[in-house]
Amino acid sequence: MTTSQVARSELFGTTEASPGSHFVKNSRRAGRGIWIATITAYLVTFVVMLPLLWILLLSFRSSDDILSRPFSVSNLTTQNYKTVVDTLNLMLMYRNTFILAVVSVVVGLVVSFMAAFALTRMVFRRRRRRLQKWLRYYFLAGLAVPVYILLFPVYRLDLTFHLFGTYAALILPYIAISIPFNILLLTGFLVEFPEELEQAAIIDGVGLFSLCTRVVLPLMRPVIATLLILNIIYVWNEFPFAVTLINKSSLTTLPLGVSQFQGVWSTDYGAEMAAAALVLVPQLVVFAVFQRQVIEGMTLGAVKG
Amino acid sequence: MVWLSRRWQLLLMLAPALLVFSVYLVYPVVYSVFYSFSDYNGVSKPKYVGATNYRAMTHDDVFWSSLRNTMVVLGVALVLLIPLAFLLAVLLSGPIKGAGALRALIFAPAIVAPILVGLIWVFILDPHIGLVNGFLSSLGFAGPQWIGGTSLTPLSVGLVYVWQTLGFVLTIFYAGLKMLPRDVMEASALDGASRWQQLRYVTVPMLQETFGICTVLVITGAFKVFELVYVLTGGGPVHLSDVLVSYMYYVTFRLQNYGYGMALAVVICLLGVVVSLAYLSFLRRRRRA
Repeated sequence: MTTSQVARSELFGTTEASPGSHFVKNSRRAGRGIWIATITAYLVTFVVMLPLLWILLLSFRSSDDILSRPFSVSNLTTQNYKTVVDTLNLMLMYRNTFILAVVSVVVGLVVSFMAAFALTRMVFRRRRRRLQKWLRYYFLAGLAVPVYILLFPVYRLDLTFHLFGTYAALILPYIAISIPFNILLLTGFLVEFPEELEQAAIIDGVGLFSLCTRVVLPLMRPVIATLLILNIIYVWNEFPFAVTLINKSSLTTLPLGVSQFQGVWSTDYGAEMAAAALVLVPQLVVFAVFQRQVIEGMTLGAVKG
Repeated sequence: MVWLSRRWQLLLMLAPALLVFSVYLVYPVVYSVFYSFSDYNGVSKPKYVGATNYRAMTHDDVFWSSLRNTMVVLGVALVLLIPLAFLLAVLLSGPIKGAGALRALIFAPAIVAPILVGLIWVFILDPHIGLVNGFLSSLGFAGPQWIGGTSLTPLSVGLVYVWQTLGFVLTIFYAGLKMLPRDVMEASALDGASRWQQLRYVTVPMLQETFGICTVLVITGAFKVFELVYVLTGGGPVHLSDVLVSYMYYVTFRLQNYGYGMALAVVICLLGVVVSLAYLSFLRRRRRA
């Protein structure tokens, strides 16, 4: 705020709210208004949080207790968690989901980067310029394709390639789905990459590989981080492909496992909720740590996509 | 760069992405469209039947009821989600202590797997063990059948969808609000506009584009709802609560009527695109008017 702005706000009785607040408050009204706004905001947040809190509460109560006295908070027990750990191989689900997420996201990013680099920085000989442009559109057209239309054809493809019962059955479609958006963001960044840097590196005699890994990639860390986050969240939560393409219990992912909880425990609600909590809480903790990046990444993803 | 663009280098860089993308995304789309014109059960050879599958849809009551349910979900989302997210974004961009933390908390459901969100809401909405009806009955009311009944399920699915997406849409509005020029706000305040007038005549018109983005996101999102129905009711009773995608999944993978399933998938896909485009052209026409 410059001096003149300060002077003006004093003159006209407007006060600077928190930095970035776009409403200029009249200080006389502001006092009560802020209180009402604050209380409303906290109340709404509490209501939004309520389902999650309720699940956590249920997970510490026995199923009989849940049915007979739904709202009592006495008799809390950790028995449900013992039941879950004894009957459910959660570690296996975590391992499967982790492997799928890491492999498909990393490979997806690598191949997308290679293609994006070729589509923006490399030179297509003679009249092929137009081909370069059209290839980019070809990839970007994938943005419009919804997942459900792919389920059955991919199921057939996996059968044809004998991929059923392997991680590859899921990794390949996950990579394919990630490519359009990866290329959208990566090419957006790469077209503006400073040419001087690139030329200097080439004059120094670097090859294509080290140009990419040592010169270009280090400058792209923010874009890469955004894409990593978006893609990992997608694979971590992915259900339609998982339920269609996984036919072995040893490959069960977390979302697929969650879909089976109701069948596994039917009326043991406490155990069901404990299992849900064991999937939910770690994810929320990771979110709490990276919340700024996650929120920014997902918002950017939506606006650009 | 020309020195590093030999043909084999270009091929090497492009081939992996082109291959995976073409085989696992482009080919499946073509395949779906192709098989939507056939009678195919996976065992005998697919038989070309023209537009029969598409014509069958017009007599298929379940198709129409799932279309209606999808529209209910979309309606609930448009009526509740957009205004609620916008007003909350305005509220949370004000001088509230801990506004950042509140935004993060409201955002949290957006990163939870939809299938898990569905499971969580079973315990909120279930007529017998759910929180809502438990609360109502402790007050002496008999709660309605939120899920599993014949009528309320799509509304409930819409509500759950709103819950999951609220923080996400809120953040987009919030980002839009942050980009509004301050001087316009100051000027309107100096001119004596009340806060409501500012909101109605300055903020909303200036955020038109953001409203457009959010609405298109909500439309495409609502057409994709699948997991919520899968856990909340499984489409029951007798498909009355199915939405388009869950019905398509049932036809394809339970009935193994692949031809009809693919026709449904194509139609859902087109519907999503058409509704979004219709909305966008409506926006453009209104802006010109």
